[in-house]
Amino acid sequence: MKTTMKGIALVMFSVLLVTACSKDDNNSAVQPLNELRATDIIADTIIGFSATGQPFGSGKFTFFSLENNRVVPSSDSNSTKWDLGFRGTTIITNSGVSGPGNGGGFVQVGTFEDLKMVAADSVFRTDVSPSNLAIPAGSNRAWFVYNPQANLVTPIPGRVLVIRTALGKFAKVEILNYYKGGVTPLATASDDDKIRKQRYYTFRFMVQPDGSKKLSN
Amino acid sequence: MKIVSTFLGFFFFASAFAQEDTTFNSLLDEVVVTATRSERKLSNVAVPTSIIQGKRIAQSGSLRLNDILGEQTGLFITESFGKGLQMQGLSADYTLILLNGEPLIGRMGGVIDLSRIAVGNIRKIEIVKGPSSSLYGSEALAGVINIITDQPAADRLSASVRYGRFNTLDASANGSIKRGKFSASGFINSNSSEGYTLLPGSVQKTVEPFWRFTNQFQAAYDFSDRTKLSASLRYNLEDITNSITVQNLGQNIVSAGSEVNKDLNFNPVLSHQISSRIKTQFRGYISRFQSVQQLDVKDAVVSYNDKFNQQFYRIENQTDLVFSEKFNMNVGGGYIHEGVSSNRYDSLSTQRSNNIGYAFIQNEWLPVERLSIIGGMRFDANQAYASVLSPKLALRYRINEKMSFTGSVGRGFKAPDFRQLYLNFTNVAAGSYSVFGSLVAQDEISALAANNQIDNLTPSYYKLADLSPETSTGINAGFHYNPVQSLSLKLNAFRNDINNLILTDVIAFKKNGGQIFSYLNISRALTQGLEAEANWKKGSLDLTAGYQFLLTADKDVLDDINEGKVFTRDLETGISRRITRSEYAGLPNRSKHMANLRIFYEWKNTGWFATARAIWRSKWGTTDIDGNGVINREDEFAPGFVQLNLSAGKNLRNGLRLMAGVDNVFNYRDIVNLPGQPGYNWYLTVGYDFMNKHKH
Repeated sequence: MKTTMKGIALVMFSVLLVTACSKDDNNSAVQPLNELRATDIIADTIIGFSATGQPFGSGKFTFFSLENNRVVPSSDSNSTKWDLGFRGTTIITNSGVSGPGNGGGFVQVGTFEDLKMVAADSVFRTDVSPSNLAIPAGSNRAWFVYNPQANLVTPIPGRVLVIRTALGKFAKVEILNYYKGGVTPLATASDDDKIRKQRYYTFRFMVQPDGSKKLSN
Repeated sequence: MKIVSTFLGFFFFASAFAQEDTTFNSLLDEVVVTATRSERKLSNVAVPTSIIQGKRIAQSGSLRLNDILGEQTGLFITESFGKGLQMQGLSADYTLILLNGEPLIGRMGGVIDLSRIAVGNIRKIEIVKGPSSSLYGSEALAGVINIITDQPAADRLSASVRYGRFNTLDASANGSIKRGKFSASGFINSNSSEGYTLLPGSVQKTVEPFWRFTNQFQAAYDFSDRTKLSASLRYNLEDITNSITVQNLGQNIVSAGSEVNKDLNFNPVLSHQISSRIKTQFRGYISRFQSVQQLDVKDAVVSYNDKFNQQFYRIENQTDLVFSEKFNMNVGGGYIHEGVSSNRYDSLSTQRSNNIGYAFIQNEWLPVERLSIIGGMRFDANQAYASVLSPKLALRYRINEKMSFTGSVGRGFKAPDFRQLYLNFTNVAAGSYSVFGSLVAQDEISALAANNQIDNLTPSYYKLADLSPETSTGINAGFHYNPVQSLSLKLNAFRNDINNLILTDVIAFKKNGGQIFSYLNISRALTQGLEAEANWKKGSLDLTAGYQFLLTADKDVLDDINEGKVFTRDLETGISRRITRSEYAGLPNRSKHMANLRIFYEWKNTGWFATARAIWRSKWGTTDIDGNGVINREDEFAPGFVQLNLSAGKNLRNGLRLMAGVDNVFNYRDIVNLPGQPGYNWYLTVGYDFMNKHKH
């Protein structure tokens, strides 16, 4: 459960800058947005096997703050301190049934770089029920595809999660990998290996702290 | 391109190698019937046509139709729903398989399992590539395979037994009798194997034990020189052990049963030569196919029973008219009644049927000696779906004694099958998904909605309509060169544009999360390529080298790529980017390159023969792993391979025949992608000719 030091440093740097700027006035230069990367965010890793052989985890979400680029303790689950929650392949937003925040999101087809601005007429979905989430759960519906022959989860290329944070800021997220160290096991690897290494998210993201829908520099 | 140039290099090497002779290759004087539905010299045919002789089938040690077809240029045996045939890059659904000119039925999942067809009594196989619906109607989209069995001639009786790996036992008896105007022949074959396991320690075999039994009888009576009646009867039985072990809640649930497929064909033919210029033929055809799958779950009362019955009845007349040396015509027409009943379509008692009336005409015109032009068309009026007109135009131009050019353009079609129209299938075990035929989908969904079981309808639901036949336009341009008598070189470029492809699509979601699929005319595809073959026949040696270059594409995917809607992930950075046209590998299960080399050698006056046949297939796409909808990543391909088959034998003067062979000498296996390939396979054959002793 570590974020890159570089990422932390960049966030701290930008937070400092933002604070510094806000003390001036609105005429100051717009700060460049940083593309951040989170690696090995644990998403309810497998802790055992049921009597029927089904792998299971503890069932808990890992909460992550995009604005602060860090994992939020689950004791803060009923707060606006987190923006995304991860459990297995399910991703929740801080909205609706999932949290008290003003979050939401949707999946946009395209590249991370091409998403320079959240379209004005975008409709942000919220987590209406566990089976009706802003980021739909299930294979080949939102961000990933599960291949039963290879027994592997692969993020679909060209899918960007457009996120509204708990505090109503806009962000974009691209899931890069679902396995430990950001390396997908080979299809020929053992099932044991695939189970042990899964549920570790690597993703890159960009948050617009000024509340605008601009997501590029 | 390197491979192409190597191959072309072989052409020129070969043409330089053999010199002097000036007359045409004797192979070209063989007669074929499939290309024009009338007897033509192979050297006069304007569409890509080739012949496999029965002798070569026997020397290759082939037992089933897929064995020999898999060694031919541009053909590939697929392994979904049995052994299917891929031709010019088109799936097995799109090649018409004829037995003595009559279509074989019993397609499962669109595929006629070629291993249902024994080859022990085949005189020759004719292969015609390119759309041939102008003569044959539905299914002749990629081309036509016509299996022509031995015609009763002299008194003959022979038998053979073969034993090989996996306890494979194949026994045949073949005989014919001729008494004045009456002749008859019979063929009986039994083929069995204990199957094999590719994954050691797995609870279930990769290929289960099977037994196949084929029986074929033909009789002919010549009323006069002008009038002849013949009839053939074939019965085929296939009994495959079926055992499935599934893991559920940590326990192995074992089911045991069988799949039994039965084929019955009856084909009377009356031909009459009205005058020297007019010949007419009446054909009748009755064919029935039945497939029964029975599975009983051990220690439970649950049993699974799946029955499928298909019938095909046809009467037809074809009349050939010779107006002059420069102009002749074939006209014909017929009526087909086909029906299906299955517990997958409502119930066994519900008979689904279709009636088709059709007529065709073909004209052959030779305006000058060097040029022949053939134009034809066929109209099929269908009861259950839209009617189809299939035209075709072909020409052959003889540049000089050694070179000729052929070109053809035609339309092919494949009618929606009963499965696509009437299927009513719900898989409770695997996610409770359902597949409904296009004609029953709306009613079934209304019924489910009335029970409050439908969650939502997808946009595809509103596109449900009467299915149209899948159609294609095929173009073939060929060049034939016979530098010397012993050498023949053939090049053929082809392109098939296929429209209205029928695919399944999700039309609704059930409240329990299950998907509902139906069939829609939603896809377009293209296949194009180049085929080259060189044959060198001199003395005891018959050597053939063949190559096919193939490009395929889903046209909608091409549009999406051009519009920047398809992505891939950079392997190093893991970051998404747009895919390029050249990264798209086309349709799955197609190899860009396929090649073969076939060597047959017969030692004169000794009865000895030996063969070596090698096939090579470059890598081919299997599945889309990353969900981008296309095959592009290296791990989405199956590796290419080379397979070498060897055989040798001796025909003794006393009528005894001995033969031994090894298929797949290098023991190539690919458990994931080629489950039908068990590895090397040896066999020994002993045969005896009771009447006609061998003359060397």
